[in-house]
Amino acid sequence: MNEILGIIIAAVLCWLNFVLIDTWMGLPEKPGVKGADVIGRDVKKRGGNLSGGFFQGNIVCSPDASAGTLLGAIACYTIGIPAGGFVAALLVFIGNRLCADPGYAGTTGAITIMIIIALASFIGIPPEQFVVGMLLAIVTIQGLDHPRASKLLGKIAKKMGRYTELT
Amino acid sequence: MKTFIYLVDHLFIMIIHVDIVTVTSYILAVISAIIVGFILKLPLIPERPIRDSWTISIIFPTIIIALGLSAMVFELGWSGMVVGTVIGILSAFISKYLLEKILPPHTGMIGGESGE
Repeated sequence: MNEILGIIIAAVLCWLNFVLIDTWMGLPEKPGVKGADVIGRDVKKRGGNLSGGFFQGNIVCSPDASAGTLLGAIACYTIGIPAGGFVAALLVFIGNRLCADPGYAGTTGAITIMIIIALASFIGIPPEQFVVGMLLAIVTIQGLDHPRASKLLGKIAKKMGRYTELT
Repeated sequence: MKTFIYLVDHLFIMIIHVDIVTVTSYILAVISAIIVGFILKLPLIPERPIRDSWTISIIFPTIIIALGLSAMVFELGWSGMVVGTVIGILSAFISKYLLEKILPPHTGMIGGESGE
């Protein structure tokens, strides 16, 4: 498959993987640590959505499905499938526990991206394109426009029943 | 067309690189972790809502530890079904006795009021 097309497809798959898992695991519901609270409220002050802000704060402050997806892709590239996915899941779990997070989102993200990479390999997308794709996916959440991204994340949180009750 | 065949070929090799002994070893690691977990009286699943639970159970994180440790040990060169089984047993013991000591559960919010 064409490299650019592969990276775009990988980026979309990574984006869906980590945003859906993180939202399902309740990242937009409440800040896990003080830093996530500060980021969430700052994003709201700049015209964003509080729930989406908590999501953005939480993925900065602890390794969630975003870190699981990135580490899973890197580990699958370096040591293969399925060993890479399993090692990534364990490392993300340890990182989660160190960052005051029970670790469900990160490990689920690492395992699911391993399955996605294994399936995508049949249409010719190698793991390295998932590494680049994940970097692009995280840029759309954290690197371009915090308030707009937070509004989109807030809408997804509302649809999935994970909207914050805090004000 | 050539590139496509190369990629599929290359990746196909990557996937079937996992031979039957390795797959069986992973399965044995998981099964032994579950059995020893039950013997050590670990709960099967955390209490609900699971996403907020810090309870150490068999499904999570014992199986994740068993699979992760197995993958690390296999990649370092020690492989086989016996190694898989031993890692599974070890993982259950780590979950039960070591995990909460080295990675304690989080109580309240760091650096301030509770986030609950």
